[in-house]
Amino acid sequence: MKVYIVEHAIGSFAYDEQGKLVDFVLSSKDLGKVVDALIENEKGIPLPTTVELIKKIKTEEVIVENEAEIPYLQQLGVKASYEIHNLGSKVFRESLPKVAVETKFVSSENELYSFLYDVSFEYTRRKLRSAASKRDLLAIQAIRAIDDIDKTINLFSERLREWYSIHFPELNKLVEDHELYSTIVSKFGYRNEITKEGLEEMSVNKDLSTKILDAAKKSIGADITDVDIRSIRMLSDTILELYKIRSELTDYVESVMKEVAPNITALVGPTLGARLLSIAGSLEDLAKMPASTIQVLGAEKALFRALRKGGRPPKHGVIFQYPAIHSSPRWQRGKIARALAAKLAIAARIDAFSGRFIGDRLNEELKKRIEEIKTKYAQPPPRKPQEQKKKEEERKSKKGGKEKRRGRR
Amino acid sequence: MSELVKISKTQFENVYQCEFNDGTTRLCTKNLAPGFSVYGERLFKVEGIEYREWNAFRSKLGGAILKGLKQNPIVKGTKVLYLGAASGTTPSHISDIVELEGKVYGVEFSPRVVREFLLVAQHRPNLFPILADARFPQYYRTLVEDVDVLYVDIAQPDETDIAIYNARFFLKENGYMLLAIKARSIDVTKEPTEIYEMEVNKLKEANFDVLQVVQLDPYDKDHAMVLSKYKGK
Repeated sequence: MKVYIVEHAIGSFAYDEQGKLVDFVLSSKDLGKVVDALIENEKGIPLPTTVELIKKIKTEEVIVENEAEIPYLQQLGVKASYEIHNLGSKVFRESLPKVAVETKFVSSENELYSFLYDVSFEYTRRKLRSAASKRDLLAIQAIRAIDDIDKTINLFSERLREWYSIHFPELNKLVEDHELYSTIVSKFGYRNEITKEGLEEMSVNKDLSTKILDAAKKSIGADITDVDIRSIRMLSDTILELYKIRSELTDYVESVMKEVAPNITALVGPTLGARLLSIAGSLEDLAKMPASTIQVLGAEKALFRALRKGGRPPKHGVIFQYPAIHSSPRWQRGKIARALAAKLAIAARIDAFSGRFIGDRLNEELKKRIEEIKTKYAQPPPRKPQEQKKKEEERKSKKGGKEKRRGRR
Repeated sequence: MSELVKISKTQFENVYQCEFNDGTTRLCTKNLAPGFSVYGERLFKVEGIEYREWNAFRSKLGGAILKGLKQNPIVKGTKVLYLGAASGTTPSHISDIVELEGKVYGVEFSPRVVREFLLVAQHRPNLFPILADARFPQYYRTLVEDVDVLYVDIAQPDETDIAIYNARFFLKENGYMLLAIKARSIDVTKEPTEIYEMEVNKLKEANFDVLQVVQLDPYDKDHAMVLSKYKGK
């Protein structure tokens, strides 16, 4: 008997030459398995349901739509050929919702479409992820570059302040922000060329700008020449350029992170997410770590000190940067860090191995847990005076009373 | 920013026209995902219903409607296979028009833009994102069904052949095809009108009734939208 085999996400269906449905095998409703099979099918491997169906109906000749499947089907001992949009697939695809309900794959049309929606989403995400593989290494390099730029900005800014202070020492104290300081130097140069309008353009507040103008008038700094100013300006221009690169790199990290690690990004944002990847080495490495390790990533020094000397381990590593941790009272931080690390472990594994997006759900659960911690442990734990004292003495004797335990990097 | 004065129906189902106080009018559709703007278009709320402005410069179907498309085969409940969904600008409006009863299968090949397309599809249960190559319909046959309308906008030299191949797979008898031809990506050396004629002939040979060719300038230069009806295999 010659049959037409139609393959679809909901299963495999056999039609005879009159276009009548002979038999069928339905897919499981496990999204992961279905999508695996669909992606394998592109390489020519028949769907598992097809193999099962062919064994079940014991036919000698099948007609499929995917030419690449023919060698695999011949291995099963059937004569195979291909014909696109054959009689079977025509009947099937014209009446997909009807077939799905009649074969009891689903109980309603709506259910079918919500299944198909999930499958195509998952299928597309999976393919997207393999296209985006190794992009995590790019995000890691970018975040490291940002850290280097931060260091450089600090270094250069310190030098600029020392240098420009020969001419206008008062400005150092008045303007703490490096970017604003560099902008002022680059824009005006000489202290007596600083104008109220110019400062306004940089959106300096009134109070500060009066102070600066006032200080410029009465400055005790030395007079310098055009040549001197030009050299100083070269440095401040460089600092401003670095700020520009930094903000562009931040945008870049954000876009790459959303692509390679959407769930991690949803939880902790692109910057902190990229830092975690950077410390772990890659997305896959991070995905293989237990939550307890993720919790203290970036606090290796404190952790190994604690292990060596038997002190208390750190409560958090870089995840300390997560707002809910550093803005919470001390006694809540460890618990929040543990909850966050657990969610991060889940997120990392999904990002690395499946690519589905459940960031919203993770976030919601985490928010709920944080809320719970906040209400349950609103008060600091009662101190146990004697134990506290004993511990402190112990620690002092062990560390020579010098080192102070730190939870963060 | 100009303000909305009036929203009225057009001759096409679920396509609306909004008038502004500066005298301009624009197309819009009812937002299926209220609160979400897909490509930065404006949203208006009128009597509890949210409308999205449809920018004809960003969407060839929008341009074709304004340039006098006689018939829009996409109505409420239509099933559409959309080849070249890109970041989902036009698919989102089609998804608005067909409403939840209709389905839009969006095929797009470039991972870069699919990323954005996914974000659009996330809020639209009738929009199915498929990352695949429209040249190989056998790869996504497992995810779609036969459709009433095939919408093709893929800017490839062999676009028409790909469209016909897909029609053989998935387009119902008497179904419609909307083919957006970008003359410049078929052959830069030929005159656009010459190319439209060439492609129209290809369609006729493949058993299509060509109903209308709409040139899309000024919305898209050297582009045309071809509306045709499939007479079956």
